[in-house]
Amino acid sequence: MKQQRYRYKIVALLLSLALVGLAVWGGWNLAHYSTRWFSRATNTRLTAQKKAVTAGDILDRNGILLATTKEGRREYRDTSADRAALVHLLGDRQGRIANAVESFQSGYLYGYQSSLLDSVYRLIRKTDRVGNTLTLTIDAELCTAIQRAFSGHRETEGHSGAAVVINYRTGEVLALLSLPNFDPDQATESLIATLDQPYWNRATQALYPPGSTFKIVTTAALLERDPDAVNRQFTCEGHLDLSDTFSVHDFQNAVHGKLTLRQAFLHSCNCVYAAAALELGPDALRREARQFAFGDNFLFRDLVVANSVYPSGAQTQEALAASGYGQSAIAATPMHLCLMAAAVANQGVMPEPRLLRSVRSVSGVAVLPWSSSTVGSVCTRETAAALQSMMKDVVQGGGSGSRASVTTLDIRGKTGTAESTVQGRKVNYGWFVGFNAQPDLPFALCVLTENIAEGETGGTTSALIAKDIFTYMKNYPERVQ
Amino acid sequence: MSRGKKNPRRRLTSIVALFYFLTFALLALRDGNVIGYSLAVAVPAVILIGAYVLPRLFPIDQLLLSLTNFLCALGVLILYSTNPANAIQHALTYGLGLLAMVFCIYLVRVVSSWSRLIWLLVPLSLALLALPPLVGREINGAKNWIFLGSLSLQPSEMVKVALILILAHFLSRRSLLPLLGIVVACLALLMLQRDLGTALLYFLTSLLLFWIASGNLPVTLAGLACGAGGAWWGYRHFAHVRQRVAIWQDPWQDELGAGYQLVQSLTAIASGGIFGVGLGLGSPTSIPIHTSDFIFAVICEQFGMFFGGCVLLMFAALICRGAMIAASARTGFQGLLAMGATLLLGLQTLLIIGGVLKIIPLTGVTLPFVSYGGTSLVASMCLVGLIQGVGSLNEDHLQEDLHLAMLHP
Repeated sequence: MKQQRYRYKIVALLLSLALVGLAVWGGWNLAHYSTRWFSRATNTRLTAQKKAVTAGDILDRNGILLATTKEGRREYRDTSADRAALVHLLGDRQGRIANAVESFQSGYLYGYQSSLLDSVYRLIRKTDRVGNTLTLTIDAELCTAIQRAFSGHRETEGHSGAAVVINYRTGEVLALLSLPNFDPDQATESLIATLDQPYWNRATQALYPPGSTFKIVTTAALLERDPDAVNRQFTCEGHLDLSDTFSVHDFQNAVHGKLTLRQAFLHSCNCVYAAAALELGPDALRREARQFAFGDNFLFRDLVVANSVYPSGAQTQEALAASGYGQSAIAATPMHLCLMAAAVANQGVMPEPRLLRSVRSVSGVAVLPWSSSTVGSVCTRETAAALQSMMKDVVQGGGSGSRASVTTLDIRGKTGTAESTVQGRKVNYGWFVGFNAQPDLPFALCVLTENIAEGETGGTTSALIAKDIFTYMKNYPERVQ
Repeated sequence: MSRGKKNPRRRLTSIVALFYFLTFALLALRDGNVIGYSLAVAVPAVILIGAYVLPRLFPIDQLLLSLTNFLCALGVLILYSTNPANAIQHALTYGLGLLAMVFCIYLVRVVSSWSRLIWLLVPLSLALLALPPLVGREINGAKNWIFLGSLSLQPSEMVKVALILILAHFLSRRSLLPLLGIVVACLALLMLQRDLGTALLYFLTSLLLFWIASGNLPVTLAGLACGAGGAWWGYRHFAHVRQRVAIWQDPWQDELGAGYQLVQSLTAIASGGIFGVGLGLGSPTSIPIHTSDFIFAVICEQFGMFFGGCVLLMFAALICRGAMIAASARTGFQGLLAMGATLLLGLQTLLIIGGVLKIIPLTGVTLPFVSYGGTSLVASMCLVGLIQGVGSLNEDHLQEDLHLAMLHP
């Protein structure tokens, strides 16, 4: 009987705990998913709200008006180039670009949960119902400048691609561009049909093989195990044969001979990194990739970013070796690779990318105060410092990223040239991820150029764009700071 | 019982009554609806009269009564904001439920020999459960309703009360074989109705109550394994079970088709935020089945997740109170009776809110007290009546002991 009473209490306690758990789960979901759930096109509340309320304005960090409503019509910037450069960030009138600010932040733009204070203000001023004003972290001029940079180089002109620039201290997204893009005011059906998936925001939604930029992760795994691995000796014979059908080669079949890890990183030697991955084993490399947020469920507050993939389950020796230089089934978005560079620059802590600098209601009250957050720590401070120094060599020590260097700035980075097969056709992607190590311009970036010509690399394509972006920062520090 | 002004439970009753007076009055002022005004008077009146009259009939647990009143009246309030006619219906059923509760309290207090009653209840329950497949109609994939003229009844709800009595009777006498036969027969009949949510509820309640009564962990785990096997069988053989699981995994896969209900529920919860859009506001009617299965989503939209969490805490308080009453019962039967009723109400709450919040697949059971549905509300009130009945007997015994102690110091 006594034991029975004891069990009554146990069961009641468990049931109560489960109910409390439900409440906690509900709150957690609300914190992480409410914007994602609310902004769906199927939300009838939003459809009704849009009829009753005028959408608020959208400004960039320097106060440039990016979107406003005039006589019931949504107007974007004045020139065609400026409008096109922002189309993936802001969205278009038809909502064909998924999760852009105009759709994802519609709760704020149409003031769905307006406060009592706003209602009183509206009564006094007798104004129409207007949503909140959003100020983005974006520098709109930089977005246009990046678009111009892509068409300014023979190697990148007309190519699809993407670029992301963020402040690695605060996570503010300074620029985000996806190519091809289009001017929402002149988007005719026939024009759209000539472009390669222009509605796709490649910077946040498209997953690409990261190629040699993934060597940052492999290097981190080696350094976390042995801090002195930087100067360890490796030998590159120009090829590493794993089976009759699979052997690792370097770009243009280069033979590097005896070299340290630092030199292997500088020359982006695939043979050394394949050997390193085999030596690390599948678990250590997977653990490091997880640390760098591969496989994470990204639930950023302001941005919807596709989750990166690191292959799960058992791996063949070939796949493991290829993982070492980012060529197995690994896939990541340009945004994630930018965060990876940002984490290295930020002493191993990956910032959460933010797009909303402030949200203000008509009465001028800050609805959403600014706060920065982190995704987590990806590696130790010492590993980050070693990676920073190795990435310095790549740009400033005669490595593959030399073309990105800008005098008076301290640019560091890593190039990558990834291969993939799209519809039976071999496609090469040129990557550059990097950052400026000076504390007054703490910016990290990632540039991707799709379908680069044979013989071109990330260092001869995307690095040029990176240089233009860094030069812009050098010339207009007041716009970006 | 002390009836002084400082009695905190009295104060709780007053607060609950005041809350509903104000909320109904606010809605009535907005709509200028007679129904609203009458509810603003009637609901607080029922709560106050109940709190005044019932303790004079028998010792009653005021906290449990207040919680029950609050939850039932919350159902009336939420239903009023979507369809006043439903609210009137729910309010009337609530009154009927209070009478049913009093009846159950008397039943527990008066009946001294349960054997005959139980042997009457067993064939009656099975007959009731067998009715819907024969004469019922299909609603939402399950054939679990019967219609008597304009009256629609859900036998599986009525049998819940009988099931608790049967479980407590057989478990307290340790005659397990007949019990096993009865429970299996019930589950089989529910499977025939394709009412798998209720079948799951019956199964879990029976199994957990068996563990509570016997403490026999190996058998309980074996039962759980059988249940898992049954669930797998159901998943393989019922298309609508597979669909429910698929919706639970990713409702957005088919957000205008199969996933529509859950997507709309989650959208409503998201638009409510932490503190809600406000009483009577939002668009609750865009959620399918917003009167019963998804009523928690409507609560969350209007009052916010904070209040939704408070409602969950109220259910937790109800469970703890029920278990305390069970623990101080004088006989094994009474203890199991109170605990069984508590367990059933708790599990039902977990199943439906877990489904609405996308933690488990939707099971389509009602939220006790709150959901629209006459049979369900009356059955829940009867279950509380069983708990209250045991509680009142405990109180009587306590008074008796005190009396004896005073006579023979």
